[in-house]
Amino acid sequence: MSTTTQAPKALRGVGNWIDDRFHLAKTGEKNLRKVFPNHWSFMLGEIALYSFIILLVTGVFLTLWFNPSMAHTTYDGSYERLQGVEMSEAYASTLRIDFDVRGGFLVRQIHHWAALIFVASLVVHMLRVFFTGAFRKPREINWLIGVAIFTLAMVEGLFGYSLPDDLPSGMGVRILQGVMLALPVVGTYVSMFLFGGEFPGEDIIPRLYMLHILLIPGILLALIVAHFMILWHQKHTQYPGTGRTNKKVVGTPMFPGFAIKAGGFFFFVFAVIVALSAFVQVNPIHLFGPFTPTSITSGLQPDWYMGFMEGSLRIFPNWLDFQVFGYAVPIAVLVPGLVIPGLIFGGLAAWPFIEQWITGDKRAHNVADRPRNAPVRTGVGVAGVVFYGILWLAGANDILSHTFSVSLYWTTYFFRVAAIVGPFLGFIIAKRICLGLQRRDRETLEHGYESGTIQQLPSGEFIEVHKESSQDTVHVLESKAEVDRIDDEMIASVEEPESDGVEAPAARGLKGKLRAGLAHWFTKDNVSFEGVEAHTGHHLHHGAGHSEHDEEMAGSH
Amino acid sequence: MKWITARRRHPLAGYVVVLLALAVFGVGYSLVAPSADRAEAQVMAAQTGADPADDATVDIEEGRDIWVRSCASCHGLNGGGSDNAPDITGAGGAAVDFQVSTGRMPSSNPDAQMPRKEPAWDREEIDNLIAYYEQEIGQGAGPAVPEAAPGDKPERSDFEDEESYEAAKEEYDEAYDAYVEGASDTQAGMQLYLANCAHCHSWSGAGGGLTGGHWAPEIHDATPRQIYEAMLTGPGQMPVFTDGAIEPEDKQELISYVKTLQAEPNAGGIFDLNRVGQVAEGFVAWTVGLTLIIACAIWITAKQRAHD
Amino acid sequence: MTDKTNSNDNGASDGSADRVIGTPSPAEGEAIVAGSEDPGAEHPGAYPAEETHTHSEEEQRRAEKTAAVWFLIAFLAGIGFFVAYFAFPPNAEGEPAIADPQIGQYSNMALGGTLALALFGIGAGMTVWARRIMPHYEVSSPYDDLPSAPEEKGSFGDFFMRSADESGFTKRPLLRRTLLLSMVPLGLAPIVLLRDTGPLPGDKLKHTLWEDGMHMVVEGTDKKIREEDLAEDGAMISAFPLVEEHGEGEGHGPALSLNDQAKTVVLLIKIPEGDFKPGMTEQQMNWTHNGIVAYSKICTHVGCPAALYERGSHRILCPCHQSTFDAADGAKVVFGPAHRPLPQLPIGVDDEGYLIAKGDFSSAVGPTFWDAEKGD
Repeated sequence: MSTTTQAPKALRGVGNWIDDRFHLAKTGEKNLRKVFPNHWSFMLGEIALYSFIILLVTGVFLTLWFNPSMAHTTYDGSYERLQGVEMSEAYASTLRIDFDVRGGFLVRQIHHWAALIFVASLVVHMLRVFFTGAFRKPREINWLIGVAIFTLAMVEGLFGYSLPDDLPSGMGVRILQGVMLALPVVGTYVSMFLFGGEFPGEDIIPRLYMLHILLIPGILLALIVAHFMILWHQKHTQYPGTGRTNKKVVGTPMFPGFAIKAGGFFFFVFAVIVALSAFVQVNPIHLFGPFTPTSITSGLQPDWYMGFMEGSLRIFPNWLDFQVFGYAVPIAVLVPGLVIPGLIFGGLAAWPFIEQWITGDKRAHNVADRPRNAPVRTGVGVAGVVFYGILWLAGANDILSHTFSVSLYWTTYFFRVAAIVGPFLGFIIAKRICLGLQRRDRETLEHGYESGTIQQLPSGEFIEVHKESSQDTVHVLESKAEVDRIDDEMIASVEEPESDGVEAPAARGLKGKLRAGLAHWFTKDNVSFEGVEAHTGHHLHHGAGHSEHDEEMAGSH
Repeated sequence: MKWITARRRHPLAGYVVVLLALAVFGVGYSLVAPSADRAEAQVMAAQTGADPADDATVDIEEGRDIWVRSCASCHGLNGGGSDNAPDITGAGGAAVDFQVSTGRMPSSNPDAQMPRKEPAWDREEIDNLIAYYEQEIGQGAGPAVPEAAPGDKPERSDFEDEESYEAAKEEYDEAYDAYVEGASDTQAGMQLYLANCAHCHSWSGAGGGLTGGHWAPEIHDATPRQIYEAMLTGPGQMPVFTDGAIEPEDKQELISYVKTLQAEPNAGGIFDLNRVGQVAEGFVAWTVGLTLIIACAIWITAKQRAHD
Repeated sequence: MTDKTNSNDNGASDGSADRVIGTPSPAEGEAIVAGSEDPGAEHPGAYPAEETHTHSEEEQRRAEKTAAVWFLIAFLAGIGFFVAYFAFPPNAEGEPAIADPQIGQYSNMALGGTLALALFGIGAGMTVWARRIMPHYEVSSPYDDLPSAPEEKGSFGDFFMRSADESGFTKRPLLRRTLLLSMVPLGLAPIVLLRDTGPLPGDKLKHTLWEDGMHMVVEGTDKKIREEDLAEDGAMISAFPLVEEHGEGEGHGPALSLNDQAKTVVLLIKIPEGDFKPGMTEQQMNWTHNGIVAYSKICTHVGCPAALYERGSHRILCPCHQSTFDAADGAKVVFGPAHRPLPQLPIGVDDEGYLIAKGDFSSAVGPTFWDAEKGD
């Protein structure tokens, strides 16, 4: 094992040639040594990266035949059922990809499935980062980039969905135009400029095409590269455990371990997407028929990532619409179409800074939080997930109503209530669960874990033997940071000296009071681990005579 | 609560909670969902002692028997209707054929929308009923049965031997193909369907929800004649499309469009997700796609034990 | 709900598989004394992987075979992809190959199936390789210290400010301000250039082609509509205005542009005379003809065709967002997010019994915009 194979001559030659020009040996080695912590949830972002690569490759293939033109044509291509049908060049050229280009149908389906998976993986990746607090200093900028990627990915998806000019895709554009028109004062101008006139006009698909294949993917690519470079520079966060501290990252080195694993994972992601595309039909535009502004189908939906906007448009009532001097302000379009997405994405972007402001925690964090150890953040996150989820489901209320035979209007009433009540319930339940888990953690730390072994004491009493947890478990449990409970007393004693970089919240002024109140809310219920030492409560449950035996058993594992 | 406290740490507790939650949802759903009409449909598919249909003559007496036994109790002996059933004197033979041949009539619950089910009578009996209706009740009012459009497929049980069944089936298939393929203007059929039908029955004919707990049914099982009759008579909440507004040959185009679409294999793969569209696609992307990928990620990163 | 890290396995700490290089064994203490990588060292060298658990030679050989099988499967599937590609010929005149949906489906599944298997085989082989042949160990490496040391920061700041002063940018306000001023028009130029992306709205959105005396045709068949075509209660049809066919040389396509279709399309509905609600104004009743009423089909919410007419309840439902309008009551909104009623088209009948429009819509068609409810 100690002998190292000499690098093959050809490889050395290339390596030397490059190093002669860039002086890369040292940097190269440093990067090969880069350490990546191991956990499946750290691979979620990679799914997004890989599906983006797949999207780029398949997208390029599709552009070879796609003709982004709204010029009118009568179809006389190979697909017999639609011969003689009036359609746009865009739709006809998509039929060509499907039915004249061998493998074209497959690639188009790969492109569509990859898009669905891309946005889905962005969401789960973002949730992982949120719930583990991995957005905290020093990673706020990468969080912001992530939010931007998520937003742009949605827009990119919507525009791509609109290109083939089939029945549902044209309706997506129509709804977009309807939301634009609702903008006070400027709405009609924005719509006229974007569409080059009235809806649908002849310009919108060429324009969306440019945005879809050039501008937005270009920005996305740049943002993804920046995201990755920042990650590379700052190194990945890690979960708590033995030897894992804010100063030191523990994991697999880039080469060979991580490189092989990540490479294999790329093939897995690609394989799953291709398998779906091979066997599960997606967005069958040839069955939908071409777009006309006067036709519609029941069960009309956007792709899933626009579902929450569709849902908010559906359930928002018209009670708040008003007029100023006869000019219409359709709140029922503006709020769900612009304000709610603005709140969701704005809230996501602002959260790291809000949390930092509330807690006053300006320290750098490289060890991720366990979600239970930040119950308020977890609760807020769950509330957000519930809110988004309710809107998302509401976007399919007609399908739900039809599939489960529930009255259509009742689904609307239900979702209206649920969108308001659900997040509060989600917050309370999630926080309670977190606190319960914290208490269990404290117990486990003090007494070890329940072994399932029952013993009878001389007194006749039955007890369950507790065993010591492993070193690693102890480290994980002890990772819970001590949180100062911020209460009125503390707030009253102004200007405490800073300790550990955590400032004492100033209680002056309205803003200070608000902040103090929020800080109190953020910390008041936390279970204190203060003074808890591992396994000190060990003997409380059974006689000293047994402990030796237990340790022996524990050690034998 | 002590009971719960003692058991909630049991290894199976999690599963029990999940099962209980599922049961609660199930029961809750069954309370919320409208009556079991649709389930009943299968039960109602009671078979009739079918006589061979080789006799082409119409037996008006039998039609009257059926009318008196099964229709008159609600619609009245003269078809004038009652508190819980409409006047059907002007409905026409097409309406009778549609309602009875799709099994919607006779209905067990006059207040609820009836789902499609097996008809209560065989073809011959239905023809007798229509003949009686047209002669005695409707007396020529309302649209007649559109004979040009192919109706029910022959049933094996209606024939004495295999040969006559095969012959009838072949004849039917020929008529069916001639009708569906006789339409040539896909553009007209498609535009008529998408502009006037798809907003309820969906682009694929899978149906959809309406207000007030009603729904637009799936039309995959409907014969061309039943679709034609539905357009003529506007059953339930469905509007009427007269032969003046959409002429018979255009109706043929429309029916041909939706039937051809329905019969077309799915070029994108064997799983068509019931042609529901984007909701089903998103569901599959999350539940199948992402789950499989994450399973792979777990395989790659799973902790290795010494023996691994 | 079980937390992986909370494993009740005391063995993890002595199994060398999870041992962190550079950390002392658990018996010696908890803290990491030093990482194996000293950031100051010029040549840290390879990680001492051999110190850790490695797989036995026999085990590695077995794993190598497994991985090789996966790679071979991938290779064969890759060959299969080419076979699948060339097995399906291109479409020929009158003889569609993949343009036949059934053949297309086979082609899609053959191509996709082989490709997916090839990709999966490579992924699985690499995973077996990484997990069962390569030694498994974890190493530690320091995170960067944040922020920079004060002297580094100070030195940078000094240099930057001194150089800025040197450039004159800080000391010469005239230079600075005129430079910034010169940028302003250039920054605005792109916005001006976007002006010609479209025309100004004017009152384009408020008017449609409909005018007094125009005939109506069925959407899709262009059949002129007579009053008796809608004589039956509950009758409905989607209709366009009849415009003169364009002459030779004006290109092909339907007589109405999509833009005009989107604005002029109407839903003609025959409502039983007694079913109209008293809420209908006299003017609205005058716009109907013998129970036939014409509403714009374009929803006033965000513009989907609101076409779902229920003859029993007289509701018109928009399938997109479920705005519901009452056809028997001037298309007033009875449910959902829309605010304005559907615009009504005044209709009548000409001498020959054909339905005609008697003017333009009662209000602006389509999604509600800023001045939609204002007069001209």
